[in-house]
Amino acid sequence: MFNRRSLLTGATALGGASLLPMMAWAKGGLAAGIYPGPWEDAYRAIVQPALKKAYDIDLEFASLFAVDEIAKLKASRGAPPFDALVLDPGPRITAIEGGLLEKFDPKKLTNASKLPPSFLDQWGVCVSAQVVGIAYNPKKVPAPKGWGDLLKDPWVSRLGLSGFQTTFGTVALIELAKVFGGSETNVEPAMVELKKVLPKVAAVGQPAAMPGLFQQGQCDVMFTNTQVVAILKGKGVDIEFVKPETGAIAFYNTFHISKGSEQVENAYKYFDTIISKDVQTALMQPPFSFVPANKEVVLAPDLPLKSLEEFSGFVVHDWAKINPLRAAWIEKFNKDMAK
Amino acid sequence: MTLKPAEWQLALPLGLAFASLFLAPFLLLFGVSFFNDDQITQPGFGQWIKFFGDPFHYKVIADTLLLGVKTVAATVIVGYPLALVFIDLGPRLQRVLIFIIVMPLLLSVVVRTFAWIVVLGREGVINTLLLHLGVISEPLRLLQTELGLVISMTQIEMPLMLLPLISVMSRIEPNLRDASAALGASRWRTLFTVIVPLSMPGLIAGCLLVFASSTTAFISQSIIGGVRLIYLPLLIWQQSLVVFNWPFAAVTSLALLVSVLSVIAALSYLGRRAGGAIHG
Repeated sequence: MFNRRSLLTGATALGGASLLPMMAWAKGGLAAGIYPGPWEDAYRAIVQPALKKAYDIDLEFASLFAVDEIAKLKASRGAPPFDALVLDPGPRITAIEGGLLEKFDPKKLTNASKLPPSFLDQWGVCVSAQVVGIAYNPKKVPAPKGWGDLLKDPWVSRLGLSGFQTTFGTVALIELAKVFGGSETNVEPAMVELKKVLPKVAAVGQPAAMPGLFQQGQCDVMFTNTQVVAILKGKGVDIEFVKPETGAIAFYNTFHISKGSEQVENAYKYFDTIISKDVQTALMQPPFSFVPANKEVVLAPDLPLKSLEEFSGFVVHDWAKINPLRAAWIEKFNKDMAK
Repeated sequence: MTLKPAEWQLALPLGLAFASLFLAPFLLLFGVSFFNDDQITQPGFGQWIKFFGDPFHYKVIADTLLLGVKTVAATVIVGYPLALVFIDLGPRLQRVLIFIIVMPLLLSVVVRTFAWIVVLGREGVINTLLLHLGVISEPLRLLQTELGLVISMTQIEMPLMLLPLISVMSRIEPNLRDASAALGASRWRTLFTVIVPLSMPGLIAGCLLVFASSTTAFISQSIIGGVRLIYLPLLIWQQSLVVFNWPFAAVTSLALLVSVLSVIAALSYLGRRAGGAIHG
């Protein structure tokens, strides 16, 4: 039976044991913001053990979308809840302008020479790229050729649409606008055309809900990135990726150090591990299918490009121009789409 | 120390927690709403003028409150008869029913919400069943409609209606029903003149909880309802986490708080009056 003394001893031991991870943390720790879903899964499976093995650093993840990372950094005002973070181009500019990032020195990365020079700058390092195009269910609809097809039959009645909240949604709607005479800074033509076909559109949803809606057959065409297509395919979903005739869109994912981080050196080691050849090769394999940044990695055949040089053929966008317009676009999308 | 703690001292921990975790952030929120720019540097009423100068936002407020009213109505219609059945059951069946009622609360809201996508979807359970039975020839559009949203919210919010309702109804003296019958009242008359008035405090409490919870259920609203059904929580999320216009998000949050609180205040007033009518 338990008496008071044995209970106290047990409780003290348990309490002490809970301090152990903190002691390990003190040796070399790093907290990193990472996107939920494939990013978090892949980084937990591949990068976390690789960093522990190479530098004996314990990596903790905070699972957050880019905009949530920015919100947390803004709210914490110089006492960041994580030391390193991954960003899309739009939020990256917001973070730079908001003074939320430490200056970055590419020379501190031993693997820096293995990246294209444009992948490094004074704010961070590019570790992967996303390729955005059209995904469709080949058993339900024929392959669409371009963005304009999305608003025609038979695709429009099976279309799943998301708005300007995400990077991929914003750039896809910009490309749709271009088909109808719009531009990077003028999405109005897309909104006009969308409004005309709105009653037919199968689903207008939250970006995070789109893969689920596709999987459930609620929609059979959507704009998304190659990684989502690879993951859904891996789950047995009938899905194919199409590069639109005007070109697929590419945007880069960059890693940064939070302003005020006390683990700057560990953050560089973390980045060095991510861009190392072995880790990049592992991240490229299905089901994660990351587009690598390291030039020494032999590209897998199922990636949307044969070599990193092909990136020059992809459509890219200037987020310095897009960011100031985005709030108004989101408002406009709300009003035009509202029932 | 021989001081006997006064009652206010006992309430001190909760009071301090309330002050630091609710009151202080609320004042901060209120303060932030009086800035014109998203950098929070220029004081002014710009965001308030922007919010209340746009008829679209009135529609969003009305839709949000209406969603709450519809969900409350549906939970009452389904929940009240269930509560009536509950009080007549034996203790063992009551335990089983309580478990079934509480079960949705034990699941994560995300899981519950995605389960409803599977049920309501174009190729979901309901459509597949109806198609097989030949009731419909084309799949019904249930997901991303207000009807689908209200159906799913009714299930999701049901425990909040049933738990207070059952707790109050179980305390109603069973002899009152027998007395009513002995005095010649029909079952319906007994229900409406004896049971319903006596269960009013539980019913009102359930309505308050369901209303407050359904009007602010961001995940269910945006995943099941989609983005064509726009409610205040979606606007707050967009402004605070996508656009980073915190002053405007603060105004929207206050609009949600005030509109939901006014309905709740009206409901509790009605509750007090109903209570007074019975006991007074």
